[in-house]
Amino acid sequence: MAILQTVGLGKDYGDVVAVEALDLTVEAGQLTALLGPNGAGKTTAISMICGIVPATRGNVCVAGHDIATEPFAARRALGLVPQDLALYDELTARQNLTFFGRLYGLSGTLARQRIAWALEVAGLTGRADSAVSRFSGGMKRRLNLVAALLHKPRLLILDEPTVGVDPQSRNHIFETIRALNRDHGMTVIYTSHYMEEVQSLCDRVAIMDHGRIVALDSVDHLIATHAAPMVEIGFEGDANTVEQALAAVGIAGPGVTVADGTAQFPHGHRLGAAFSALEREGTRLRSVHTQAADLESVFLALTGHRLRDD
Amino acid sequence: MLGAAIIKDTQLLLRDRARLATLFLLPVIFVAVFGSIFTSRGEEMRQLPVYHEPGDRRAAALVAALEASGAFHTTRYERAEKVRQLVAEGDVLAGLIIPPEFDPRAGKPAELAIDEGAPMQVRGPVEGAISGVLTAAYVAGPRAEEFSVLDPRTPPGLDRPLAGAGGFQHAVPGNAMLFGFFLALTVALSFGEERTSGTWRRLLAAPVSRPVVLLAKLVPWALVGLVQMAFLFGTGALAFGMQVAGSVASLCALTAAVVVCATALGLFIASMGGSEKQVGAVGSICLLVMAAVGGAMIPRQLMPETMQTISLATPHAWALEGYFDLLNRPGTTLAQVAGSIAALSGFAVVFATVGAWRFRFDR
Ligand SMILES: Nc1ncnc2c1ncn2[C@@H]1O[C@H](COP(=O)(O)OP(=O)(O)O)[C@@H](O)[C@H]1O
Ligand SMILES: [Mg+2]
Repeated sequence: MAILQTVGLGKDYGDVVAVEALDLTVEAGQLTALLGPNGAGKTTAISMICGIVPATRGNVCVAGHDIATEPFAARRALGLVPQDLALYDELTARQNLTFFGRLYGLSGTLARQRIAWALEVAGLTGRADSAVSRFSGGMKRRLNLVAALLHKPRLLILDEPTVGVDPQSRNHIFETIRALNRDHGMTVIYTSHYMEEVQSLCDRVAIMDHGRIVALDSVDHLIATHAAPMVEIGFEGDANTVEQALAAVGIAGPGVTVADGTAQFPHGHRLGAAFSALEREGTRLRSVHTQAADLESVFLALTGHRLRDD
Repeated sequence: MLGAAIIKDTQLLLRDRARLATLFLLPVIFVAVFGSIFTSRGEEMRQLPVYHEPGDRRAAALVAALEASGAFHTTRYERAEKVRQLVAEGDVLAGLIIPPEFDPRAGKPAELAIDEGAPMQVRGPVEGAISGVLTAAYVAGPRAEEFSVLDPRTPPGLDRPLAGAGGFQHAVPGNAMLFGFFLALTVALSFGEERTSGTWRRLLAAPVSRPVVLLAKLVPWALVGLVQMAFLFGTGALAFGMQVAGSVASLCALTAAVVVCATALGLFIASMGGSEKQVGAVGSICLLVMAAVGGAMIPRQLMPETMQTISLATPHAWALEGYFDLLNRPGTTLAQVAGSIAALSGFAVVFATVGAWRFRFDR
């Protein structure tokens, strides 16, 4: 059964179309990524799915409940890990969790058990009674994550949960997500603008750009369909000359970059032609590498621009 | 859910020393300063040093009349210079020097040593009282002490005020309103804090209805407001001798209306939007002006007629009207402050309705 289904889901902020029309179906047990650059509309999409902001158009069904007509049933099936830390800094970890548990009607023994479990998952059992303001960034991120787990949601939505986190905490968070998916059967939606994260964590990727899903498939399939391995040539000489020489044999357009002694283009182009063209110009080659394709190249192929500007 | 919110906000408040101080300590300091200004001034006004020649029996009779009026404590000094010096040094407000040739009809009045630059509110009563008593005694001659020209009576329709009500009778309710309505700013800012801490999104994503989310933000602060009021009036009564002439139950009812009104005003301010800085700046200016206009600092009775009318546009004025009766007029009942309670409730309904209607959850 589909645990999440959005149909034509969209949101406008005045003239800004934050999300155009999102059609996304997630089956129980899947680990789906929403990959896209900053401003792609990931957070807005999630806000509509959780019923935090009303949709301008389309609808959302969570575990069979429409978020507009049965908001409580839908929200009970959902756990949201917000992009920005959502904790009371002056309260202790335990006080935070107690309050968030009560939002889902947890109290008494059950609440205590779930809180103990959540603290253990976060690796914060020993720091349960310290104020959150004394925590490191990574500890806060971990607490931020487990605060969404207390009611054991069927669908866990994480909005960029690793921003500003040290590598150790990042691994901890990854392991936690895998374990929740594997051992507790939680369905997971993970948004990120880091393609490495998505590639290592998720079996299914929805690539978002400018408020639209431009592709939705498994990582392998996306790469096989949309991206070729890259060739990188190191050379001595003028970059402009090289660019023109390559263009003359049809190596131009998105995916081709020439700068500072290196030229990059997808493997699909004829290598022999490239070499002869450079030879004719008298350009000396220094190195040739091939690079396996990744989601970055998929994104580039689909959108004509890069995932990250940096 | 509301219970959890109350516990959570109490835990947060207990860790916030600055806010605790502004809620509880600051108003007490204000009460102490304002209340004692008016009270001690009263005592100062009663002290009257006098001089007349040792054997002057007629002058002695005049002084006895002043003493008998109950308005003054007279002290005779050996030298006229000493009396003038006491006034010049500010130890007393006024001094009286009665020359042996005292004869007002012949154009030989007594000398009143007083700073002619002192405000009229201070000079007026002293000069008026002394000249009244002296005139009466001068006309009556030796029978001065049996003589009284005025008999003050509260007209029917007004209940008799408590005798000797001190400056705290206004300072306590006045500052309670000044600080009590600042609860509105705290409420408004707490929405911003919830947003800044990110927890607002968690509240909205939880299976809790929007009205309950609003109540979860408002109810804890309303309770804090009630505790604050209980603390201020309690301190006023126990530490500063503030008296409650009317019914204490009515005082509680009026105070509850004040707190509900302040909380609703908080929702109203929050619904106007704006950054935390803007809300803080604009909100505190508006609340200060409302308090001043509403008579929280200077009693409305001292304001000119038009100003008194204008001030009725603030909930503060209606509340203070009710407190004045409850604290000063014996036998004041709930029915007599019902007007104030109704007005405060009216303000509260308007603030809450407009606030809830304009409030944006997804800002
Ligand atoms: N509350 C809002 N008001 C106006 N514009 C918004 C608001 N929230 C998001 N946007 C706009 O919507 C677009 C998508 O933003 P967002 O959903 O935050 O993207 P992402 O999470 O992928 O970085 C951006 O252009 C952003 O400026
Ligand atoms: Mg985002």
